[in-house]
Amino acid sequence: MGMKGIKDQTYYEILEVSPTATAKEIQRAYEHAKETFHADSVAVYSLFSEKEVKEIEEAAEEAYRVLMDESSRRSYDRTHSRAVGEQSLEEPFDSQVASREKRASLSFTDLSFNVEMEHYRGRELKQVRERMGIDLQTVSKETKISLRILESLEEDNFENLPALVYLKGFLKSYAQCLGLDSQKVVEDYLQFMRESKKK
Amino acid sequence: MGLERAFRVGQAQTSNRKMIWTIGGGKGGSGKSFITANLGICLSKLGIRVVLIDADLGGANLHTFLGISPPALSLSDFIKKRVSHLREVLIPTAVPNLQLLTGAQDLLNAADTKSVQKRRLIRSIQSLESDTILVDLGAGNSLSVLDFFLMSDGGILVVTPEPTSIENTYRFLKSAFYRRLKQSVSSASVKALIDDAMDRKNEMGIQTPHDLVKAAMRMDETDAQRMVEEAGTFHPNLILNQVRSKKDIEIGFSIRSACLKYFGMHLHYLGYVVYDQDVSNSIRRRRPLVLENSRSRAAQCVMEIASKLADSH
Repeated sequence: MGMKGIKDQTYYEILEVSPTATAKEIQRAYEHAKETFHADSVAVYSLFSEKEVKEIEEAAEEAYRVLMDESSRRSYDRTHSRAVGEQSLEEPFDSQVASREKRASLSFTDLSFNVEMEHYRGRELKQVRERMGIDLQTVSKETKISLRILESLEEDNFENLPALVYLKGFLKSYAQCLGLDSQKVVEDYLQFMRESKKK
Repeated sequence: MGLERAFRVGQAQTSNRKMIWTIGGGKGGSGKSFITANLGICLSKLGIRVVLIDADLGGANLHTFLGISPPALSLSDFIKKRVSHLREVLIPTAVPNLQLLTGAQDLLNAADTKSVQKRRLIRSIQSLESDTILVDLGAGNSLSVLDFFLMSDGGILVVTPEPTSIENTYRFLKSAFYRRLKQSVSSASVKALIDDAMDRKNEMGIQTPHDLVKAAMRMDETDAQRMVEEAGTFHPNLILNQVRSKKDIEIGFSIRSACLKYFGMHLHYLGYVVYDQDVSNSIRRRRPLVLENSRSRAAQCVMEIASKLADSH
């Protein structure tokens, strides 16, 4: 990538993914970019000005918007084939190293931490699934969870959900199917369910 | 002969190729000495011969982390020729395969140490009987500290997930980065431009490395290209210390992305060490954590990082 300004980077470079990245990888990369490049992020403190952070934030949003839609991604790849081609010839992109490092760093300890990121509820899960272009039938097929339960899950229709012991397993499979952090999804969803039932 | 070249030539001439890691990066209190000492112990327990070098300008205290009394002999005894061989000032530790060399902060006081002395010292370090050398640079930011960081096989930054620590680390990284760029180019005007870039209020309006490359392209395209290549081959490492949450762990990945965007450089996130009360308990008792309480969470983290360093041997 060299020392290019944000305007000169391809959408793949902005999100730090390979030109052959899957929808799941793009989703993860986008969430990481959102977490990194915002006004209150400690990681950008003293390195970037507020204006520069905003620029990167907006660039990441646009990159995500284009790359998550199959047809706009195809069209983008066609018009930027040279820039994208050059990128794939460079040394292997960091995202694969990143996800290996991430798995290695996080896997050895069983410590569970409080998470303060945005929360996964039915609506958020449905949004992520739709952005990835995965329909509920596909999720049902892969996870062996019935369509009825998946729909209830996404609509936060708690009465129609099975007992906790099964629900946890279903949530975990659903999260893994979408390539999300399954522990977080389970924790968030169950927490939300508990809070809603109290009201 | 420049310091870096002296280093490389020395490395090529010694029969055993050793890994030299330098631990640095700005703010005091981020845990560099704690991590250097405990990493050294972990590596030596893996059968690797390790020499720890204390070069902390703020005051040598690696020996305290290792539970050794203030050493009688130090590097200045070698520099002042009170002993003839560097190995005579090496201090054995209770851990087999692990030795300590203290007082190297004298070396890094650039004003005091003549370059001929530095070169002699570097050659002697390279000829030490060991497989790995870990140099604790402390919180220094001097040119000598930067040079040591840059010339090692791996520079390791230790940072805590707080804005002040991160700010100091970025300051250190900027200094190291620009120094490395300056060493890579040949034209005097581009070197001067790089010096200007270090001052954010410079007249050319250079705020970022990207601006610097654009300005350099107008002066000397070859040098500008060299800088871009140099940035791409600079791979410092990061250890995040005193981590208290999953969000803190993620900060390491965010710092890496920030460095890629800002410097065009690939920072390697080596790992993290959790905040653990056992750490300060072990320091107070002057017993290394990985020996005193190998099952503690922080000790597990250090061992994990050590095994990654050992793999890259």
